[in-house]
Amino acid sequence: MTPPLRALRTRTTVALLFGGMLVAAAVVLFIIQPVVKGLHASLERDENELTDTEARKRVALLALRDVEYDFLAGKLDEVDYRSLKSELTAEALAALEADEAVQGGSAATAGADLEEEIAQIRAGLESGTGCGACSFINDEGSRFCSSCGCALPAEVAG
Amino acid sequence: MTNLGEFALWVALPVAAWGMALGFAGGRTQRGDLVLSAERSIYAVFFLLVLASAGVMAAFIGDKFQYWYVASYSNAELEIFYKITGLWAGQRGSLLFWALLLGFFSSICVFLNRTKHREFMPYVAAVLQGVMLFFITVLLFADVNPFEQFDFTPANGQGLNPQLQNYWMTIHPPTLYLGFTAFTIPFAFAVAALLNGRLDARWIQLTRRWILTSWFFLSIGIVMGMRWAYEELGWGGYWFWDPVENASLLPWLTATAFLHSIQIQEKRGMLKVWNMSLVLMTFLLTIFATFLTRSGLIESVHSFAQEIKIAYIFLGFMGSILAGCVVLILYRLPKLQSENRIESFVSRESAFLFNNLILIGAAFAVFWGTIFPLVAEAVTGEKISVGPPFFEKVNFPIGLVLLALAGIGPVIAWRRASKRNLQKNFIIPTAVGLAVAAGLWIVGARHALALVTWSICAFVVVIIAIEFWKGTRARARIEGEGYVLALFHLVTRNRRRWGGYVVHIGMVMIYFAFAGAAYNVDERAHLNPGESVEVTSPFGHTYTLTHEGLSVSIGRGQRNLVWQAIATISVKRNGKARGILTSEKRRYTTSETLMTEVGIRSNAQEDLYLILSALDDPDGALAADSDAQGIDLQVLIKPFVAWIWYGTLMLAIGTLIALWPSVDRKRLVLEAMTERPAGDPAVAGAAD
Amino acid sequence: MKKHSRFMVGLVGVAAIVSYLMWTGVSETMVYFLTPTELLERAAADPSFHEVGVKVSGQVVPGTYARVAGELLHTFTVRDLEDEAVEFQVEFRDALPDTFTDEVEVVLEGRLRADGVFEAATLLTKCGSRYEASPEDLPR
Repeated sequence: MTPPLRALRTRTTVALLFGGMLVAAAVVLFIIQPVVKGLHASLERDENELTDTEARKRVALLALRDVEYDFLAGKLDEVDYRSLKSELTAEALAALEADEAVQGGSAATAGADLEEEIAQIRAGLESGTGCGACSFINDEGSRFCSSCGCALPAEVAG
Repeated sequence: MTNLGEFALWVALPVAAWGMALGFAGGRTQRGDLVLSAERSIYAVFFLLVLASAGVMAAFIGDKFQYWYVASYSNAELEIFYKITGLWAGQRGSLLFWALLLGFFSSICVFLNRTKHREFMPYVAAVLQGVMLFFITVLLFADVNPFEQFDFTPANGQGLNPQLQNYWMTIHPPTLYLGFTAFTIPFAFAVAALLNGRLDARWIQLTRRWILTSWFFLSIGIVMGMRWAYEELGWGGYWFWDPVENASLLPWLTATAFLHSIQIQEKRGMLKVWNMSLVLMTFLLTIFATFLTRSGLIESVHSFAQEIKIAYIFLGFMGSILAGCVVLILYRLPKLQSENRIESFVSRESAFLFNNLILIGAAFAVFWGTIFPLVAEAVTGEKISVGPPFFEKVNFPIGLVLLALAGIGPVIAWRRASKRNLQKNFIIPTAVGLAVAAGLWIVGARHALALVTWSICAFVVVIIAIEFWKGTRARARIEGEGYVLALFHLVTRNRRRWGGYVVHIGMVMIYFAFAGAAYNVDERAHLNPGESVEVTSPFGHTYTLTHEGLSVSIGRGQRNLVWQAIATISVKRNGKARGILTSEKRRYTTSETLMTEVGIRSNAQEDLYLILSALDDPDGALAADSDAQGIDLQVLIKPFVAWIWYGTLMLAIGTLIALWPSVDRKRLVLEAMTERPAGDPAVAGAAD
Repeated sequence: MKKHSRFMVGLVGVAAIVSYLMWTGVSETMVYFLTPTELLERAAADPSFHEVGVKVSGQVVPGTYARVAGELLHTFTVRDLEDEAVEFQVEFRDALPDTFTDEVEVVLEGRLRADGVFEAATLLTKCGSRYEASPEDLPR
């Protein structure tokens, strides 16, 4: 190899060594830094993330909403609609209660309007009259059960 | 640059190991500093792999033929475009490319989740780095290093196989690899859920988009492969049940099953063990696909190499993952119990379950058919061959049931479907399906399988159209919107469902195209210049194809091309001129044999596909001898093939709709609670 | 157990149907993959073998290729890769693949007729160097 070529070769090798060392050093520093300097990744739940109970609540309420729309779109007939609705309502109420228990009544994680809405809807669901015979939840003011036809207790109606 | 790239690959090895170790440790001890270090190592490995890949590309572009890989897949005359994409032209570079894409997706996953899902992320990072570690180890220690050098420098490379020199071949592997590697993310989350015990629907909800993304690329990648085979292989077909084709189909089948069964877990808390198994199986199948196309174990059009060492390594990896995950699943069995049960055979849960069983059944059949020759030879010593007839015989009935389910699933009720529900929703579509079958019969279509397929297609289309119609109309009435706006809101409020319906429409279009193969026409003719052949399409019209002449060009055009002989065929349809098609024979420097380019004229009704099968006298033709211009022409008419491509576009659109991000989660809860239809349902006039 | 019974019924049912399809699929469509030697042996031992579809791998004997003028018919002789003395005539009535050369290794699917000529329905050539790279032999 001629001297100039050898010199070029050596220079390239040196450049490569230098570049390689730089890359390796940068990478090592990058990944070691947290341990050495005590930088921490967050391991806490994010504010905007749903908790397990919130997630269940959402699924239950979405199912209720879908049933309403399916009925209005004509996919479900009235009998199917009412029976599905009563099942889903019971589930939604259970989910709401479970979530409330977990949250301990703290309004910190929800806006005030959201809480109001929730309360309203719950009241609506709960004020429906439960039938003694088939436990279908009828609308407020009903005198007869829409599902099985039994008479509803007089003092609860109205 | 190439040397730097090689060095970077070596540095990536300990970094990946570090990340895996610290991810697990950080997850166990809940130490944020360890976790941050692990997450940073993911970015670091991606950076190093970018350097490594750039190094390989630099070697190609710089014509560095002392590298075995460059000399094998390139030469000085190759177009720059194919030099750049040479990274994934062969086995070694493909493995590096795979690792690169895994690094890419891992980085995105870690970045997007840096403040979210923190109870999962340490283990997710660990698993991702673990898989990465495997691939880097294979690259460096299994004789498949793309940076391997000769101790001499060849004057020129071997060049690239001419059949790989077209744009489909450059986008098909990357798309497919995107699909394969993206599925590692859901797998990582599943393992993280097993490790941290959070086994309800949360891990599924947060990986849903990754699963869809992977499925999107898998679907498109597979169809791209079909398109390439159709245009380039020159046999007029688009699917051959080739072992490598089958290998890419397997994870697609199980991923499709998974996409459906996760809905059952989300809505009803069932099938938890099943879903865990599915995600594990799909991931293993993506690794199997890599292994199959890289190990030369089953000879096929695609085989890259004959190395067996790598076969053992891959099998060992897959075996360990399988064993490890089974142990974890068994350990967590108590938490994986179903919360509900299937109440009725006739319900949406049942339909989804049936869909899953069918898809897994098909996957099993394809898997078995692919490895059967190997197994039979090992067990009986007999060499047995299982080809397309087997796969068609098994998969056609399965495919038809699946198609029917695509229509049944959307409208059958959850939990239990009453007779009324069935009547309401299925009478019209079934009637239409039967009417279509009858109509086709009347006009003379007698092919049973095609008729059944087309009538089921009609059935599904009617169901989905009615869904859209009813949903739009209901919404328009309730919200007082115009129909267009109602449709838009309908879809955007529930992207998953309506996007899914659009995907189903795409599948119907693809099945529609497949059934057209029952009416393929295949004619051969020998033509001298001026002579014609008449071919009748199944639709009744006749094509007249006239050999107008042979034109030869020598040494021009694409590099690496020695000569091309182009036959010009004029096309008349029922006597009216419709233009010309060409088909050619080409001789490349890099291949000893000739290659054929076909001519295709495509419309929604059929594809007219011309193949220049043979030149009477190649030498004479090259010498422009006027007596040597005769050709053998093969003419194919393939009904409805274009609907495969149209259907895939529809499928892609539907997937994108389902993927589109929604508003933030808190608002979703609020919407769910407050979006009650106005007025009393009984009054609003529910009956249609 | 009762919880899962419906699930199990469905699973077993589908598994049974798929297994049935696969079983009949394999037995109806499977073909033996033989060498010419094995094929001729079997045919000699069992005359009904002439009706059975088989796959044979062998090599085209140089100089034996002929194209029947005016017809789509190619004839050539194929010999065993191991034992070059064993050979038979082949008739093929389709377009030859581009990769067909005078000495190419082929995989034929078809049947051996009673007159000793193999009627090939499909012909595949083993394009060895298609994707394989062996640049070690490149000139420096």
